[in-house]
Parts: sequence; structure tokens; C-alpha cells
Amino acid sequence: MGLEVRIGDRIAEVKLVRRDENIAVFEVDGVEYEVDIAQVENGVFSIIHNGKSFNIEIIPGDGPKNYYVNTFYNSHEVEIIDAQSRYQRSRKALDDHAADKIISTPMPGRVVKIPVSEGETVSKGTTVIVISAMKMESEYKSPVDGIVKKIFVAEGDNINANQPLVEIE
Amino acid sequence: MIKKVLIANRGEIAVRVIRSCREMGILSVAVYSDADRRALHVRYADEAYHIGPSPSRESYLNGDKIIEVALKAGADAIHPGYGFLSENADFARKCAEAGITFIGPDPQAINQMGDKITARQTMIAAGVPVVPGTQQKVSDMETVRKIVDEIGLPVIIKASAGGGGKGMRLVRKPEELISAVKMAQSEALSAFGDDTVYMEKYVESPHHIEFQILADRHGNTVHLFERECSIQRRHQKVVEETPSPFLTPELRDEMGKAAVAAAKAVNYVGAGTIEFLVDANHNFYFLEMNTRLQVEHPITERVTGIDLVKEQIRIASGLPISFKQDEIAQHGHAIECRILAEDPFNNFMPSPGLIRHISEPNGLGVRTDGYAYEGYEIPIYYDPMISKLITWGRDRTEAINRMKRALFEYKITGVKTSIRFLERIMDNHDFRMGNYNTHFIPEHLDELMDIQPRGSKIFEDMAIIAAYFDFITKMEKVAMSDFTVTHSDNWKTYGLKRSLLPY
Repeated sequence: MGLEVRIGDRIAEVKLVRRDENIAVFEVDGVEYEVDIAQVENGVFSIIHNGKSFNIEIIPGDGPKNYYVNTFYNSHEVEIIDAQSRYQRSRKALDDHAADKIISTPMPGRVVKIPVSEGETVSKGTTVIVISAMKMESEYKSPVDGIVKKIFVAEGDNINANQPLVEIE
Repeated sequence: MIKKVLIANRGEIAVRVIRSCREMGILSVAVYSDADRRALHVRYADEAYHIGPSPSRESYLNGDKIIEVALKAGADAIHPGYGFLSENADFARKCAEAGITFIGPDPQAINQMGDKITARQTMIAAGVPVVPGTQQKVSDMETVRKIVDEIGLPVIIKASAGGGGKGMRLVRKPEELISAVKMAQSEALSAFGDDTVYMEKYVESPHHIEFQILADRHGNTVHLFERECSIQRRHQKVVEETPSPFLTPELRDEMGKAAVAAAKAVNYVGAGTIEFLVDANHNFYFLEMNTRLQVEHPITERVTGIDLVKEQIRIASGLPISFKQDEIAQHGHAIECRILAEDPFNNFMPSPGLIRHISEPNGLGVRTDGYAYEGYEIPIYYDPMISKLITWGRDRTEAINRMKRALFEYKITGVKTSIRFLERIMDNHDFRMGNYNTHFIPEHLDELMDIQPRGSKIFEDMAIIAAYFDFITKMEKVAMSDFTVTHSDNWKTYGLKRSLLPY
């Protein structure tokens, strides 16, 4: 079964060429790897390739096709792409595009500062609101060049997670 | 001797204090808020009591409630940890009134060191060098100008009741002076309800170096050498090490003596830290005293071999410190990295949430002080620290290389962490040379943010193979189960499979 696998920004074509017990041959973007692959504990694979040992931790992500994968040096987000996830990805990209212009935070906190006012022109990267949460102050920047259309909160306000704060047009 | 300790704190420090209690045969009592029912300190302690809703103001800062629980549980002492009530003189006094030992200094020492102007005056009287500046609060602009004429620009204006950089203003030009004082006053008033400000000479390119001290009720005061804490971001420490690569043996000796003198000046009892600013010419100045255990205390423990929490408990029990000044030395080199739930590559945004997976580093010379576990959700109400990673080496280079190895081994999935940022610091040439001051992070930010892919492409391909292999194995299992006769509810089975099926 050949599939596309996304790892970071890279999309690789993968297939299992053949398998005999724990010895398997995979092809990744045209390169063949003959490996000894063993699931050694829940979520951990040991792969030996030409005598080189790789300990790979795989952690289930948000869906059955999403993983977090840890190698010794790096942590990757990995997604198995099939027709369904390809469709969902294109939908999500459209939604993200629209949602980006309303700034909100993932956690509750307090508005420390709003250095812009309604009607002001801002460029991409301009700090539009400063939020204090988890004992830290974070600056939220405009994702686009635009105009501050609406400010929904005032300095000193307590805010909830995902509450609209500033809208950029 | 104290027999039962209530720990008025949460997170890694609560767990760390309980560990020492266990070793001393002392019973431990945990307290927790709504958000912390599943937290490790609750599971690890001998007893645990609920004290209120999640916001710290209604739980971990509710001193009356905590004392009530201590009395109910029959605890004879309270360890405040750091943060929360640890430097609250009022709470220390209430503990004493309730007949409970507060594991920390006397309320009067907390007060004397808590107010920066009082602390300054006390230090001057004790002969401890302070940064040139005012001893009294500044209000009229005439005085402001006169002081600046005396000490020279640049100056820094600070709120007397302040901390964490609030109400602070740096002035480099004479024309900025008046407006800066006014702004600092209004900021101080809104942040602390007190507009008292004072003025100090601004020390250029300073090092932040602190000395750990211990003092008992038998007249012994000792220091446990320094901690170099100059790697900071927005006045928050990021990496600490000891010994400091910047100090000479002579300067260390001199500063150690000053730290002991500072503690004696307020009749200090317990564990405390004297913070100094050290300029490029090795002049040092008293900055402030923290009248509690510090976050970074483990590096001192690692090089001296002294368990600071045990000493705190001994001292609070009325026993003398278990060693003499000339019996301790710094063995090797220790470094601490703070592992925070934050995204360094997105403006250091806090990243609370569910820990899906955690594997902690191990091996010779590695210590982790943490409290998170797989399936634990880091609450949004408290600070974002997940753990502290401490490594030791025979020399600085070995300690740094060991830290790099340990950071590589440390895997936390589900929340974003500062691990990769810390790896970049360990790789930085100036850091490795020991050539840095408090401007290190802002000056090297671009370099520290530049994440190069590491390891060869083959690691990435192996990651792809593992994920792909797991996926197709799962698919095979689903396909196989279609041929087996099931006796369970078909709809339920279909629902379960649907979440796994690709189409």
C-alpha cells in the first residue's frame, strides 16, 4: 500500500515493498531501505538499518492518521495523507485564512496593553495586543498588513480562551 | 524535631520538598486546588487536602485556609517553597501565632529585605557595597536632578515595592529624566498600590551572580558559593551554573564574605540568597535578598553535596547547620536548564495542555526535578515550568556536553517546550567560552532562533517508516477483524472502526 506521508514541510512517498516477519523493505521517495523493524514497547519502534540502530518513539496525534514522532535528534509531526485527509487539509487552509485576522489566545488571561487603536493601519508583525497569562506577558502580532477594524476588549480586562480580541481587516 | 510538614506549594518544588521529608522520616502533607487534584505532589505526599478553586489567590495564596488545614492535619511546620506565600511576612507571623513553625526566616527579616529601600540602607550600614544611588524615595524633581548630577547617567528608576521589571525605567539622556520618573511612579502605583520609587546608577553589561547562604539560631552563618544567573530573558532566569566562569577565587571569597555580612545584618535564619550585580571590571553591588529557597538551588546542592531542604528543616527545628564553612567546597561544575511549557519560536508563548508522552533523561550526572507525567494536563493557572534539568560534570565542558546529551534525550510531546532553545544556548560559542552577561539572550537572539535540521536525512526517513508501519499495521488489524464473527453490538463496532478507517 503506497501512501504519502507529510513530515514537517516535506511530503514523502512511502511504500512497503515486501516483508518477512520483522525484516521489511520500505521505499521512501524512491530510496529502498531494508530494515529490521520491531515494536519493542507500546509506541516505541526499534529499527536496525545496515547495522545502525534507530530508536523511534511514536505518539498518537489528534487523529488516527496523525503522529508525533521522536528520533534521537528531532521531534516531528507526521501525517499519513490519503484522499480524505487531503480534502480536509484544503478545507482547513481556507478556514485558517479567514480566522487568522481575528486575534485570540489559546488560554485565559488578562489584557495588559493594546498599543493600537481602531482604524489604525498596521503592518504584518506589528504588536496589536499584550496578554498576561501563566505569569508571562505575550505579545500578539498582526498576521497581515491591514487596518485595525475592531477591538473587542479593553486594557485590564480578564479574557477567556479563544475569545475574539482584535480584528484586522 | 519537626515530625510532619505541610507543603504550601505545588508543582516540582512541592515534590522536591516531600522527597527530603521522606528521607528524614518526616510525614508530608500536600494541599491542592481544583486544578491540581491529579498533580504529582498530591499523589506523592502522605496526606493531601483540598484548599480551594484553581486561581492561586483562592487556593495557594489563601494563608488562613492553609494554616487551618495544617492544624487539622496536625502538621507542626509549613514549608512555603518559592513563590506564593514564601516571602509573605504576614503569613510567617500568622503561622507563629497558630503555633506552627514557618520553615523560613522571621517575619521581620522578610520585611527588612522585602522593602528595597530599607534593604539598601541596611546593607550600607553593614558595609556591603550597593549600586550608587538614592537611599530615600525620590519625589521632587529638584532632588532627582541633584542625585543624577552626583552619580551620573545612565540611571535606572525602580519601584520600591516592585519586582519582575515592573515600574522600572532606564534613563540615558538628561531630557528623558523627568518623564521617566513620572511614568515609573504611575506604573508603580497601578501595579503595587505604592508610587514610591528610587534611583540607581545603571550598571552596564552586568553579571547577575547570587550567593546561597544558610544561617541557624546558634549564631552560624555560612555561604554555599555562587550561582551565575546571567542567562535571562525579560528578567526571568533561563540557565544557571556554578561555579561562575566569570569569578576569580579572590572575588568569590570577597563576595561570599559580603553575602554572610548581609545575612547577619538582618539576623537572618534559614536558607536565603543574596543577589549581586557584577560589572565588567569585577565591581560587585548588592541587588536584593531572596528570603526563601530559589528555583535554581539544585546546582548548589550538586557541587556542594548539601541537601538545602534538609538544612532548612534542621534549622527550623532549632538544630545547628550540619557543617562548617571550611568543610565545604565546589566539586566540579553544575548547570540547570529550566524546561518551560512555552513556544520559543512563537514569541515564547505559554503552551499549557495535555502531556501525551514524556521520556526523561537519565544517567551519570543528570537530575530532573519535575512533576509532569504522561496524561497530565499542565494547568493554565500557574507558571509554565515543567521541570528543571540539572547536569554535573568534572569540569564546565563536561557539564555542558552532558546537558546537550540530556536535552536530546528529553522528549515531551503534546505541549511546546523550551528544550530546543536551550540546546541552541548550549551550542553557542560565547556561552561555551563562558563569555556572557545579562545581555546574552537579546544579543544572540537571531542565532538562538536559527534552528538547523539536525542528524542526517536518514533519521527523518526512519521516522516516516515507523509512522507508516504503525499505520498500515493498524489498517491490517481493522481489515482482519472484518472477517471474524463478532457477538457485540454491530453499531458500536462500526463506530469504533470508523475512527480508524481511511475512508
